[in-house]
Amino acid sequence: MDNVLEVRNLSKSFPGFQLKDVSFTLPKGYIMGLIGPNGSGKTTTIKLILNMLRRDGGAVKILGMDNIADEKAVKEELAVVFDSNYFCGDWTVAQTETAVSGFYKKWNAERFHQLLKRFGIDPAKKVKDLSRGMQMKLMLACAFSYGAKLLILDEPTSGLDPVSRDELLTVLSEYIEDGERSVLFSTHITGDLERAADYITYINCGSLFFTGGKDEFVDSFRIVKGGLNDLTGELRKRLIGLRTHPTGFEALMRTEELENLRRTGRGGRMAGGTAADDLTVEPATIDEIVVFTSKTGTF
Amino acid sequence: MNETLKAARLDFFLLRPYWKTICFSIAVPLVYTSVARSLVSGISFAMCMLGIISSYTFAVSEKNGMERLYGVLPVARRHLVFGRYLLIGLMGFLALVFSLISHMAVLRALAETVEVWEIATSAVMGILGYTVYVVFQVPGYYKFGTVGGKMFQFIPVTGYLLTLLLLPRVDPDSPVLAAVLGQPALLIAAVVLLCVLAYLASVGISVRILRNKEI
Amino acid sequence: MKLIISNVSGVPIYEQIKQQVKSAILSGELQEEEPLPSLRTLAKDLKISVLTVTRAYTELEQEGFVRNVQGRGCFVMGRGSELIREQLICKAEAGLAEAVRAARMAELPAQELHHLLDILWEENADG
Repeated sequence: MDNVLEVRNLSKSFPGFQLKDVSFTLPKGYIMGLIGPNGSGKTTTIKLILNMLRRDGGAVKILGMDNIADEKAVKEELAVVFDSNYFCGDWTVAQTETAVSGFYKKWNAERFHQLLKRFGIDPAKKVKDLSRGMQMKLMLACAFSYGAKLLILDEPTSGLDPVSRDELLTVLSEYIEDGERSVLFSTHITGDLERAADYITYINCGSLFFTGGKDEFVDSFRIVKGGLNDLTGELRKRLIGLRTHPTGFEALMRTEELENLRRTGRGGRMAGGTAADDLTVEPATIDEIVVFTSKTGTF
Repeated sequence: MNETLKAARLDFFLLRPYWKTICFSIAVPLVYTSVARSLVSGISFAMCMLGIISSYTFAVSEKNGMERLYGVLPVARRHLVFGRYLLIGLMGFLALVFSLISHMAVLRALAETVEVWEIATSAVMGILGYTVYVVFQVPGYYKFGTVGGKMFQFIPVTGYLLTLLLLPRVDPDSPVLAAVLGQPALLIAAVVLLCVLAYLASVGISVRILRNKEI
Repeated sequence: MKLIISNVSGVPIYEQIKQQVKSAILSGELQEEEPLPSLRTLAKDLKISVLTVTRAYTELEQEGFVRNVQGRGCFVMGRGSELIREQLICKAEAGLAEAVRAARMAELPAQELHHLLDILWEENADG
């Protein structure tokens, strides 16, 4: 079994929101970023994977097991970090271990204490007295202490300072180093993913927009800038999230569209009648892709 | 069963920070008993206080957003429910035993005589009262939460007030009571059967509610 | 081997890795049969995607600089430095051809072009 997580045609309806036919696959040994603007369906997807919400359709397989039929076995192999603490605030760190460890057959107390030491968490402290970053690390320490094969993080970096975010990425890179374990990382702070993520799944308005390699994702878009007179109708049709200002415009464009325009153009002019050289074309960041694509709502 | 025990243990840890409040709640009725000098109403009071405590596990887990922890742990939802009932039931049993002994001791110290029929009636009233409080409250909290289901918190108090109201009207010499108390084995069997059925129904409802709940 | 990844250079990360591995091979820092850092360790150390490193290594293999041994990692090929040298000579040739074209357009005599080249050669040797 080379896929740690397989999501097929996952669907769920709420009043006013619909997650439609979301499918993606996460092979073992890699980090996948789950991205999209707030309210796009990231947390819904994660809660469906955890069977906290009941799916209307589709299937979720973790290590080849159905997430509902084999829920218990699945959750032994699954660790989750949410955006905020989910332990009882009145527990001390040590009591948290006592309360939770009994549920896992493979709980490794020694490892847990090593991690506490590494993260600088005082076992005698109450959970509610830990900083946000420390609470996140406590959830991570628990997550790493029973040999889970899949780690799911739901917006773990929102509200964290840059130091903690960097530490998190270090820990995640170590986690997947042996090539057996994977990470699904939902975030709207895409800078975190720019380097470390191997795959990207981008959900927008409840629909899957892209899933695949991160480099491929970033590579399939370009930022196009130019003067207003370059903005011909033909070009305009192909631009995503167009923003104009008195001195020019900027927009996102699919790399293949850009190349098509260039190819079909004659005499140094693109098919749209715009001189190809007049446009400034730059590589896009994940952030820019999300910003431009969610502006229009159409792709 | 193992899963149920683990879930009960987790609930126990939820209550642990509140042990002082819980001990206080069980101790207060002792004062009442020493004033009112009635074992039956004292025990009913104690079980009412404990009935109120059965909302604590819900309140604590809601306050801490722990439904997400329940969603992560490798434990089936029905076992979470079983565990919660197990802990609540166990606490009720221990509190009843403790209260019976301590309240009798208080009354003895005050030179009151406690008759066997009083002890039996107190135990039966305590068990019945607590069962009623629990079997209605718990599914209510599962369905509406402790905030939405705030009215369920009044069940124990209402129940206790009703007990107080009705208790003086029972004629200790009535033939019906005598007949009932005259068959202690039958009485205990009936009470146990009634309580078991009530708990089973309540557990069943709670499991169904939690299973369909989206968290 | 030193590997430094720049976030602002605009050069894709896999390309940066390739270039730096190549120059390490050319300079003799990486000898024949020497292993490259393990794929996953390198990704962890540089905090970059495993797939990015995979791509860099795969392309290095396709271009004949390293050899991938299943389960053991990547090793520097003996022909690596020759290949790079060939590539660089090609690059120099192409640049010179470009220079010659420009010189013809400007009607610059061959002698002066030689002279220019000498000056540039000297200047570059200092730098």
